[in-house]
Amino acid sequence: MAETMPDTLIGAMAPPVIRSGPAAWLRKHFFATWYDAVFSVLFAVLIVWVLQALLQWTVIDAIWRVENRDLCTREAGACWAVIESRGRLILFGLYPFDEQWRSTLACLAIIVTIALSCLPAFWSFKRLPALWIAGFGIFVLLMRGGFAGLPLVTSEQWGGLSLTLFIFSGVVVIGMPLAVLFALARRSSLPVIAKSFGFFIDIVRSLPLLALLFAAAVVVPLLLPDALAGNKLMRVVVAFAIFFAAYQAEIIRAGLQSIPNGQGEAAVALGMPYWSRVIDILLPQAFRNTLPSTINQAVITFKETSIVTIIGFFEVMASGNAAIGNGEWGNQYVEVYVFLALIYFVFVFGLSRYGAWLEQRMRLGHD
Amino acid sequence: MTDAAITIRALNKHFGDYHALRDIDLGVRQGETLVICGPSGSGKSTLIRCINGLEAYSSGVVEVLGLQVGDNTQILDRVRKRVGMVFQNFNLFPHMTVLENCVLPQIRALGRERGAARLEAMAQLTAMHVETHAGKYPDQISGGQQQRVALARALCLKPEIMLFDEPTSALDPEMISEVLDVIQDLARADMTIVCVTHEMGFARAVADRVILMAEGRIVEEGTPDQIFTNPQHPITRDFIGAIHS
Repeated sequence: MAETMPDTLIGAMAPPVIRSGPAAWLRKHFFATWYDAVFSVLFAVLIVWVLQALLQWTVIDAIWRVENRDLCTREAGACWAVIESRGRLILFGLYPFDEQWRSTLACLAIIVTIALSCLPAFWSFKRLPALWIAGFGIFVLLMRGGFAGLPLVTSEQWGGLSLTLFIFSGVVVIGMPLAVLFALARRSSLPVIAKSFGFFIDIVRSLPLLALLFAAAVVVPLLLPDALAGNKLMRVVVAFAIFFAAYQAEIIRAGLQSIPNGQGEAAVALGMPYWSRVIDILLPQAFRNTLPSTINQAVITFKETSIVTIIGFFEVMASGNAAIGNGEWGNQYVEVYVFLALIYFVFVFGLSRYGAWLEQRMRLGHD
Repeated sequence: MTDAAITIRALNKHFGDYHALRDIDLGVRQGETLVICGPSGSGKSTLIRCINGLEAYSSGVVEVLGLQVGDNTQILDRVRKRVGMVFQNFNLFPHMTVLENCVLPQIRALGRERGAARLEAMAQLTAMHVETHAGKYPDQISGGQQQRVALARALCLKPEIMLFDEPTSALDPEMISEVLDVIQDLARADMTIVCVTHEMGFARAVADRVILMAEGRIVEEGTPDQIFTNPQHPITRDFIGAIHS
């Protein structure tokens, strides 16, 4: 053994140093090479410059009060006075000024209903419909009035944020069960049903939403007797819901197709009836598999609600346009659009975060 | 034949042009354990799936516990409540806990109260030695445990016949015996069992009768000893030789 040993041993090397701390982190991520360093510095300067300009415009140079509106010039910062002056028009549209507290309460009722129906505790076939009937009931009673001394406000005068939320939730609440129905019908073992629903879905998807809403608002009352035609807002929400359902049905169908056949077969072999196989076994897995696309569809729908302005509804976007439209605040359109963007952002970002939370929760295996 | 649990006569099944089952005649007595083996594609699974109506057949007669298995969905429902089935891939419901997998079918198929269903589920899970996993989800337990949960889930409905479609084929080798052991217990307790499997040790230990299928036909039938030690048909000899080696 001894003769195979080399005469001199290789000197021991120092163990690799694990560098940690903020300096090492910065070096690794931003200054690893000379060009990393150049880009890091360039972008840092750019970001600081943009942030500073933004802060200057939105806060430091901003004009907040209507008394100071004479100071609102192109050179000054944001003129938030427009929001103070026109905020109520943006939020409530054409709703009568003295009754706007009702619109506020109705808006809160819808927000609370949406929030509650996001909680798994409400996901049952008794609670969810009960919750939405109550939510919509309170909304309509408050908005419409016409009882207990509350003046009648017809749906033509509804507007602003509460109308946007009403249309959005109405579309999803009516559209989601329709979508499930369409998806199941399209997968029916009876060819007549499967084919005709497939055809119907394809037709609805190939029509522009705008054309569909126009037809609902203008054409349907010509075809149906007054008693069946309902009011314009109802027709528009239902037409929008059918449009939503046509897309969502395909998402659900994809989800159903991704479930292994063995799931349905096991349920059949256990003697579970058709409705139970669909509701207990297939749909929960289909929704879980397609959650990202479903949230996507909801987000798109929320933003698309602004299209109803074309047929004469003053939802929040149209109200915002009206606020700058009369010339008095015509130069402050940027501020109004920023304000509108913020409103949309709050709701859509909330939806996205909720979707992420649901995904996380399902990954943990809870249902 | 008063004690016949399953009677199959002149059963034929086509998948399009493919003739999957050819003139099958087969009777299973109450309390009997029947093992079906044969090369893949021989129609074993198709045959067992015709017994509880998972597969519709083309012609012939399938009679289970005195009920005609056919197109009548009400009769099919009654058959399925009395015939349990365990699959190769377990087919547990992944979005439910082990306990809920066992509880929900009792509520939906038999209309049992949740409380009673829970008691029954825990009793069956205990009998299968998986009661400690009741609160877990299927993907958190091993394949052997999942298959025993699937068996417990089927037994909760108090079936009179149990069908097993290759219950150990998807399992790692070290988990096969834990599943076969509980099936063996069931066979000793006089459950009527039809089991598609290639586990010859198991067949020798519990089968009253073994049938061997090839190309949609029953080619040989007899006691496990006859089939495994003294096969007559050339296909049987090849097949036994193949699974021995």
